[in-house]
Amino acid sequence: MSRTPTNLRISYLEANEVLPRPYQKVAVALLLVAAVVLPAGSSTFFVHLMNLCFLASIGALGLAILTGYCGQISLGHAAFLAIGGFTTVILSTSLHLPFAAVLAAAALIGAFIGLLVGLPSLRFRGVYLAISTLAMHYSIIFLATTYQAKFGPSATAGISIDDPSIGFLTLSDDRIWYYFLLLLLVVVTAGCINLVRTRPGRAWMAIRDRDIAAEALGVDLTRYKLLAFMVSATLASISGCLMAYYSNVVTVEKYTLDLAVTYVAMIVVGGMGSIMGALMGAIFITLLPFGIDALFDFLPRSWRFGSTLFGVQVGAVGLCIILFLLFEPKGLAEVWRRIEVYFDRWPFRYRPLERARR
Amino acid sequence: MEFAATVAILTCTYSLLAAGVVILYKAGRVVNFAHGELAIVGGYVFYTSSLMTDASSPWLAVLGAVIFSVVMGGSIYLGMMRRVIGEPFYVPILLTIGIAIVLKSAIIVIWRANHVTIDIGVAPALRLAGGATLSYMDIASVVLTIAFFVTLYLFLSRTRTGVQFRGTAENPLLASQRGVNVNFVLSLAWVIATFAATLSGVLYGGRAFLSTESVTIGLAGLTAALVGGLDSLRGAVVGGFVVALAQYLTVRLIDPVLSEALPFLILLVMMTIRPWGLFGTVEELDRV
Amino acid sequence: MSMNLLEVRQLEVVYHRVATAIQGVSLDVPEGSLVALIGTNGAGKTTTLRAISGFLPSEDAEITDGEIVYRKKRVNGRMPDYLARNGIILVPERDKVFATLSVRENLEFAARGKGPITEERVLSYFPRLSERSHQLAGYLSGGEKQMLAIGMALLCRPELLLIDELSLGLAPIAVKDLMERLHRINKELKLTILLVEQNAHAALAIADYAYVMEGGSIVFYGPAAELRSHPDIQEFYLGGAEQGAAKSYREIKQYRRKRRWWG
Repeated sequence: MSRTPTNLRISYLEANEVLPRPYQKVAVALLLVAAVVLPAGSSTFFVHLMNLCFLASIGALGLAILTGYCGQISLGHAAFLAIGGFTTVILSTSLHLPFAAVLAAAALIGAFIGLLVGLPSLRFRGVYLAISTLAMHYSIIFLATTYQAKFGPSATAGISIDDPSIGFLTLSDDRIWYYFLLLLLVVVTAGCINLVRTRPGRAWMAIRDRDIAAEALGVDLTRYKLLAFMVSATLASISGCLMAYYSNVVTVEKYTLDLAVTYVAMIVVGGMGSIMGALMGAIFITLLPFGIDALFDFLPRSWRFGSTLFGVQVGAVGLCIILFLLFEPKGLAEVWRRIEVYFDRWPFRYRPLERARR
Repeated sequence: MEFAATVAILTCTYSLLAAGVVILYKAGRVVNFAHGELAIVGGYVFYTSSLMTDASSPWLAVLGAVIFSVVMGGSIYLGMMRRVIGEPFYVPILLTIGIAIVLKSAIIVIWRANHVTIDIGVAPALRLAGGATLSYMDIASVVLTIAFFVTLYLFLSRTRTGVQFRGTAENPLLASQRGVNVNFVLSLAWVIATFAATLSGVLYGGRAFLSTESVTIGLAGLTAALVGGLDSLRGAVVGGFVVALAQYLTVRLIDPVLSEALPFLILLVMMTIRPWGLFGTVEELDRV
Repeated sequence: MSMNLLEVRQLEVVYHRVATAIQGVSLDVPEGSLVALIGTNGAGKTTTLRAISGFLPSEDAEITDGEIVYRKKRVNGRMPDYLARNGIILVPERDKVFATLSVRENLEFAARGKGPITEERVLSYFPRLSERSHQLAGYLSGGEKQMLAIGMALLCRPELLLIDELSLGLAPIAVKDLMERLHRINKELKLTILLVEQNAHAALAIADYAYVMEGGSIVFYGPAAELRSHPDIQEFYLGGAEQGAAKSYREIKQYRRKRRWWG
């Protein structure tokens, strides 16, 4: 086979291949091996960070599909996470259902809520849809707040949850969680990649680019838009459920609009229409506050006190959104692609046309 | 009478916010999700500049607010919104969301998120029938709001610049071909909208307080704009009144806690029965 | 021989840094004349107009060679509103009026102070517009939109009017009507016009001079009268003979030679 450039595929068969070039296969294999051996040589704190990244990634993948591939802008992701969290609370503390059942239930309920939240998308596009999802977010959070006020220890304190157990294994230690989450993430990512490279993915991208034309070509808008919402909500709900078990507490205060925006930031930073981008973005945004914290070590001690650190951490997410949208709209995935292309074309370099004298 | 006073001032606050949202939508098809934050930051700026002048004359504070509007509004447009003009619809939305977060963090970092109340000229109060008290500030607020709206209306409908505004909003390329400096028109839109937001923030700061929580008035403002119609200024006034009235009644008659959530309830209802608002044009729904 | 208001010399435009749209394009537009630029779809005519009026950056294109000289001054790469203020006014192919403004407001938009052409003058050329003064421009018919677009352009104090595809989407009778008005405008107001048209017949009927573009370059030029009677032009752009008497391609000897045996 001729040496095709990294980003260009010359046949349908090739286009459907997930990792067409040998070096990509090697890279992914190495990455998985590194991921498996990582906990052995790292501190518990680092493992905990990785767990947070994995949890965020699952949710980010959901949003990547909804907004990145299907083009339906949604500010309601925090609400879906809340659905997962509160389903966990209700089913595990009140009904004492086992972990597997709760996880499955969270997924199903998430799918159902996703269906409901997706209904406005059949009527609205663009900004109006974003506003509908905003309204949905507040509705769900309102319900959650009411629940917490009524059934929780108090309106503001969280409801605690025990560690889950699968068969003989109790997920209490961070390292055990690490492997569980890694496995789950790999499965979910593989699932998403497959969704995206087959019919649903193509339908979504058609809807994103020009939904009227897609409809004219026979893409069932209702079915695929709702499917996108359902997948997104399911993944977010699963993520929320796992987060609840991981942190052993659920409180409605966590599910703010800012959290939804954080997830949006993940896919903006990572790259909107890309699975790899979602993962990269999730890791970047999750680690960002910790990075800033580390950065503050170099600044005068006094800056740590008061709310400056917190303020900067908050602002950093917003700044990332702005900077990436202005200067790198296709995100980190695009940066990676450029690196790939550079090495692929080396030693030849693509020379832009000489500009005419002005 | 106190009912009328409170609702009136709340209406002014929300209408000004809604007007800002509508102006930005009319000018650039942009829904500004940072409007609440802009208002509160503007309020803080006003507060800080009033501190510098001994509170005896509010004029320096007003000047501070105007400078803030010009600088902030102008730089948001020239630095950010202008660069994303051709891009898909979600880019400006996400950009404004990013700006909202940065502004919120500015409140935390610069003003330490202190609860701040603006009070200038509270002392000489007017006692009205029914035991209500109105400060001069309250009266000035209402007067200013009315003046703002009247000026804006005249500007947009009677002057050539107003017609240029609307034309530029619809088709910046064509406007540029016909000699309009599109950058100037759109910057002006942002400056006016920021000024309206600042005014609203000052009003709110005078009646309630400014902090990171108060940015939720942005949602109320957005709801008011939607109720009235995203492309209708007269709708902004009506929408502001509707939201203000609903909130007041909810606090008094139903449940104060619910009043926080009320704007989004109204939002839900509007999106279901009449998404283009009371005075908006239906075609706008597809234009996005 | 009057002065050349506009001179384009060896213009080359590249889209997206990879696709050359036009190459070596040179044309002169003498003051007060009506010059037609004709050719088929994709020949590069619209690109040429965009280059002259400064609208290439919005299409991610740039001038990589050549010059555009207006009133003896080089205007490559100038901002569109600078060019507009100096008299180069473009009537684009699409989105040529403000649909959400009324007819009156559209005209008001364009007028900048009291120019040599007043609103009354414009309305005298297009009386239909005054009838529809308060109607939203979006609801006008195609022909009326064209009239409004030209009217707006006239109010911008044009010295060089660039018109892109005037006849697109219009009924033949409307085209004829519009062309006649344009001709009158050119002669009475002494307004220089560069008209890009696919409808060669209509364009050549009113032009003084014409250029033919194909595949990104100028392939033919001359006084319009000459082109009208030229056999090649007649065959490729005018349907073989006077409009209405088009021959079947089978009858044209040249095509017979090109019949392919392999499909």
